[in-house]
Amino acid sequence: MSDAALNRRFDRLRVLEETGKLKSRSRSRAVSKLMNNRLAVVGLCLFTIILLASLFAPLLTGYDPLRIDLRGRLQPPSWQHWFGTDMTGRDVFSRVLYGGRISILVGLGSALIAAVIGVGIGCYAGYKGGWLDAFVLRTSEVFMAFPQIILVLLLVSILGQSLINLIIIFVITGWGPMYRLTRARMLSLREEEYVQALQSFGVSTFKICYKHILPNALGPIMVNITLTTAMFILAEAGLSFLGLGVPLQIPTWGNILNAAQDLRVLQNYWWIWLPVGTVISLFVISVNFIGDGLRDSTDPSQQG
Amino acid sequence: MGTFILRRILILIPMLVAISFLIYLGLELTPGDAVSHMIPPDVANTLSAEDLEALREQLGLNQPFLLRFWIWLTNVLQGNFGHSLEAGVAIKDIFLDRLPATLELSGFAILFSTIIGCFLGTISALRRGSATDNSLTVVGMLGVSIPEFFFGLVALSFFALHLEWLPVGGRLMPGYDSFWDRAPHLVLPVLVLSLMMTAGVMRYSRAAMLDALSREYIRTARAKGLPGWRVNLLHGLRTALTPVVVLIGFRLPALIGGSVIIELVFQWPGLGNEFIAAVRGQDYPLVMMIALFSVLAMLLASLIIDVLTALIDPRVRLE
Repeated sequence: MSDAALNRRFDRLRVLEETGKLKSRSRSRAVSKLMNNRLAVVGLCLFTIILLASLFAPLLTGYDPLRIDLRGRLQPPSWQHWFGTDMTGRDVFSRVLYGGRISILVGLGSALIAAVIGVGIGCYAGYKGGWLDAFVLRTSEVFMAFPQIILVLLLVSILGQSLINLIIIFVITGWGPMYRLTRARMLSLREEEYVQALQSFGVSTFKICYKHILPNALGPIMVNITLTTAMFILAEAGLSFLGLGVPLQIPTWGNILNAAQDLRVLQNYWWIWLPVGTVISLFVISVNFIGDGLRDSTDPSQQG
Repeated sequence: MGTFILRRILILIPMLVAISFLIYLGLELTPGDAVSHMIPPDVANTLSAEDLEALREQLGLNQPFLLRFWIWLTNVLQGNFGHSLEAGVAIKDIFLDRLPATLELSGFAILFSTIIGCFLGTISALRRGSATDNSLTVVGMLGVSIPEFFFGLVALSFFALHLEWLPVGGRLMPGYDSFWDRAPHLVLPVLVLSLMMTAGVMRYSRAAMLDALSREYIRTARAKGLPGWRVNLLHGLRTALTPVVVLIGFRLPALIGGSVIIELVFQWPGLGNEFIAAVRGQDYPLVMMIALFSVLAMLLASLIIDVLTALIDPRVRLE
């Protein structure tokens, strides 16, 4: 291609850019990059399928997850009961679907609340510094000094078992890392020139923090929210498996697995615990794939 | 180096005081009489009301809160952790009884996962983008996504119940006296725990190795004409080791915290199993002390990490 032809091409591109016609494409660069990541797409599909299946559980199964049918106990998988029935004759497939609602709610809900609190404080405190920042930082260090599972169990023993308490406990254990991540981003972003410009215009601190700096720190925060969601879903499953999570009468993925503590169930009735364990694993894998894809598409320095 | 270590220890002290204060606050606020966990219950039962009152006075339980905290703290520092509510056993004895089992399980798991994880991570980084690398990445992702207890259940049902190769659980049976007697019991929990931990180490060491290999001094070393393995192992791996040491350090508290659920699955009589039983039985003194103990382990681990990283990477010392 000759120089003149190349120049003409660049000129055309520049015209497009200046008239703003290229903008919509460049804005979706992160999204299109995410879509090019095969694992992230697989993750998104799995995530959507499991999420929709739980949300629309009543359409997919006619069985009540709580209805006990002692005559139909411990049936192996069949056309009537896709995942068989459990010790008290409840349909395992419908329990997995309805259980997904609570498990996803606990995982995603606690991660989001923890993020709102951690990011909310971290953004302001990281920007302002001073005693507030020092105090919150020390507090988060105290909570993060505990091994996670020990802190969770300790709080369970103090607060007692309920769905709300479990979310509170997860938020208590999860806000610290979010706070520190946001704070670390703020510490470097607040030195940028545009922040100095905003300050010199007399824009209020709140506006600078939440409207102008925070959007630039969102990438790593989003990644952290997905990874925290995965962690909480695993934690809920583990706790309920121990019988210390969500009260046993509410179906959740962990509570269904709780039955597998009995060696007879483990040996003879695989359909009670194997499918639900697989569903948990698939869901957490999908969340992790999405998180990894997000990291690659939002933070080019982390690619590998 | 001496001042570096000293400074790190001094930083830990306010943290320790704050956490033990919280733990003591928890002890005071949860149900249960303070006398009952400071002296053995069978002794307490033989005492009359006046004796108990005198004992309270003597133990300092009628003092103001801060002074009570101070008395409790000095007791703990002297190794007097109080008594569990349930069995009335001294918590110290429970520690001595249960800790070896936990350390045995997690120690092996940390050892194996570190070796395998570093090895696989390095290979993955050196063959970046190859089929090996991609499949290892996906396998690593599976490792952090499958609930460890579910993996444990699958292993248990397959190897112990279905094939009957290995025992179902437990650790000490009557007539066991050497390590090799209980080794078969150790295989499954160690296998499950180390595979779960390997994934994390692998991902971490891969990232660290990639980071190290992209540095300029690696290019210099290659340009000098050094053989590839020398560049990779002596120049690359050594720098990559710093973050890996940090990771292993963060895994050290897993010596106590990481095996909690696995211990239950395999009925391993360790501290984690005891902790779950204490939470279920609302045995608050025991819960609090195990939590305090795990925090101590965690802080000690962070101290060790700092010292080790300073040893490997001299730049850290200068900060």
